[in-house]
Amino acid sequence: MKLKTTLVLGTALVALAVPAMAQDYGSFDGYTLRVKLIGGAQYEPLYAEIPKWEAATGAKVEIVSSKNHFELDKEIKQDIAAGTLDWCVGSNHTSFAPQYGEIYTDLTGLIAPEVIADFVPLMIQHSTVDGRLVQLPRHSDVSNFFYQKSLYEDAEKQAAFKTTYGYDLAPPETWAQVKDQAIFFSNPPDFYGFQFVGKDEAITGRFYEMLVANGGAMFDENWVPTFNSAEGVASLQFFVDLYAAKAVPAGVPNYTWDDTGLGFGSGSIAMDLDWGGWSSYFNDPANSKVAGNVGVIRAPKGTAGKRTGWSGSHSFSITESCDNKPAAASFLTFLTSYDNQMVEARKGLLPTRSKVWEDAIAEFEAAGNTFSAETMKTFQASMSEDAFTPPLIAEWIEVSNALWPKLQAAIVGDMTAADALNEAQADAAEIMKDAGYN
Amino acid sequence: MIRALTTRRTEMAPFLLLLPAVATMLFVVALPLIFSLWTSLTPYKLTKPNTLYDFIGLTNYVRIFGDWDFWEAFLRTIGFLTVALNVEFALGLGIALLINKITWGQRGLRTIMMFPMMFSPILVGFQFKFLFNDHIGVVNNALQSLGLTNRAIPWLVDAKLAMFSITLAEVWMSTSIFAILLLAGLFAMPRDPLEAAKVDGCNAWQVFRHITLPFLMPFAYIAMAIRSLDVARAYDLVAVMTDGGPAGRTELLWTLIARVGYDEAKMGQANAMAYVSTILSILFTWYFYRKLVAARRYMGGAE
Repeated sequence: MKLKTTLVLGTALVALAVPAMAQDYGSFDGYTLRVKLIGGAQYEPLYAEIPKWEAATGAKVEIVSSKNHFELDKEIKQDIAAGTLDWCVGSNHTSFAPQYGEIYTDLTGLIAPEVIADFVPLMIQHSTVDGRLVQLPRHSDVSNFFYQKSLYEDAEKQAAFKTTYGYDLAPPETWAQVKDQAIFFSNPPDFYGFQFVGKDEAITGRFYEMLVANGGAMFDENWVPTFNSAEGVASLQFFVDLYAAKAVPAGVPNYTWDDTGLGFGSGSIAMDLDWGGWSSYFNDPANSKVAGNVGVIRAPKGTAGKRTGWSGSHSFSITESCDNKPAAASFLTFLTSYDNQMVEARKGLLPTRSKVWEDAIAEFEAAGNTFSAETMKTFQASMSEDAFTPPLIAEWIEVSNALWPKLQAAIVGDMTAADALNEAQADAAEIMKDAGYN
Repeated sequence: MIRALTTRRTEMAPFLLLLPAVATMLFVVALPLIFSLWTSLTPYKLTKPNTLYDFIGLTNYVRIFGDWDFWEAFLRTIGFLTVALNVEFALGLGIALLINKITWGQRGLRTIMMFPMMFSPILVGFQFKFLFNDHIGVVNNALQSLGLTNRAIPWLVDAKLAMFSITLAEVWMSTSIFAILLLAGLFAMPRDPLEAAKVDGCNAWQVFRHITLPFLMPFAYIAMAIRSLDVARAYDLVAVMTDGGPAGRTELLWTLIARVGYDEAKMGQANAMAYVSTILSILFTWYFYRKLVAARRYMGGAE
């Protein structure tokens, strides 16, 4: 009897859920859509929604691969090499997309224009490579500035800072102020003013956004690398000086995202430039020693008056070889729909639809969660005004691999900032030349 | 006539019986080797499959031979291999000798000893990465709490300490392989020479130096040959702990090759590097097999 009741109830719920979907996703009865999706705890809640699309369209989704992005990247490259692109939808990323050439189809025309119009225009622009919209952004990332509020409210520290530096101690507006404050707050090995990710593409990205904020550029209009300019040297010198002053932990050249997130949560770092995804962790008393003491502001400005805003979006793409592009387009529309972006926004991920930003903030405010609402507002402003991607060229990762070991060499004192950048510039120029740019 | 045919058929039989094995070997070993050798002579990029057909001769080899970063990684791999194998051998020998002495609970200890081998190198890498984190890692916190130092030691950054930390993780993970193989050697050891030596008045050190150790050396060289191939391919552990950094201080052959082959998709150049690196493995294997034959000859065994 109980089983019967459950069955009836279950059927009724499915029946209720299907007409409740605002969008018509079409009918693809009996079709199996093969997909490769990025896996991991923060990405899974969205995939729990997939049965709704299956119920609405009659299609089945077969997840043929679910791996972290770096593993997925390797697998996709192997698929390209082996000619086994026998799947339709793949997770993508704005930084990775240019390397895949033309394996992904242009979504313009496949995705309804009114759907695309609901996205933040800058995010659609970042998803476009060589004039082709090769991906639909799922959620975005940009770094903003977290700090321990209590440090700025301490009268003794305020007075001491003013005496030494001649201006008031307040959350920094420029990177020059960050440097002063980082050195001021540091008391190694117990407490550090700042920290940064120091290896792989992470340090390339940090250097790149500082370069842009200081008025420099990675390449000139002919794709000749120009990051060894005076602005480049000044940008790298920022990291070198902080390291030499012991204002950052000695291990930073080996830090990646988990190290900086856990470091700030440990309460022994004053300021941290980090992704929005960490905000709920930072303010969670069960995990973080700075819970209730976290301030967040937009990333500071460089010498050119521009804020750092290295950004990227996780996204979905459709393969050119897909045998049922309308079904794949319907699936993409579903995965990035308003409802599903709300699901991800509630978990702290940054949406790409304009309305989801507004509604998620309103939802946090209504629930009295002022920290999350403030964080969301800060990230909304930086996503729409400060965010910029790395150069969208296939050689970006290769250039990054030529650059980051040299950045590290300067940071740990093996060579000067100018020498490091000159050497990296020569290597990067060769890469660009090999790729036929100049 | 019939007899001649039968004889020929009999002569052919071993070759025919071997044919499936030879065909399988050709398919799973020779073919991939020839294919990767070919790719090393092309500018093959994974993301541009058509580049597989552009023959560029030895360009990739010329480029890597002139690349000091490659040779640094090559030499560092040799250094890492030498240190890791010797430390693992010394510790493995000590553990095997101690366990051999135990009369109660030996099986349990043997099982416990194998625990580190059961972890994936990636997990071991993460574990040691966090242990050695300069700021929130257990090692530095313990040293500071005990008053042994008041500074944050950059275990994974300092030029010497970074390689030391990786070697330590490698030794922790793999010493038990040596211990198990050497223990098997100890179990197989005949008692007679030991007893004869004791009757002749040899002390414990002399028994160990002149009987136990020479008997164990063939086992040690087999373990070293296997482990040298493993360590020369070290990737996961290093990729997680330092990814070859900072500033290339811990770059080993396979972190470099994987970056070139996959991150940059330049599989042609990566295969050229891989081919040069196989020379290293062949040299080490040849060296250990020579030592193995010598050790067996010393023991009076068959060559």
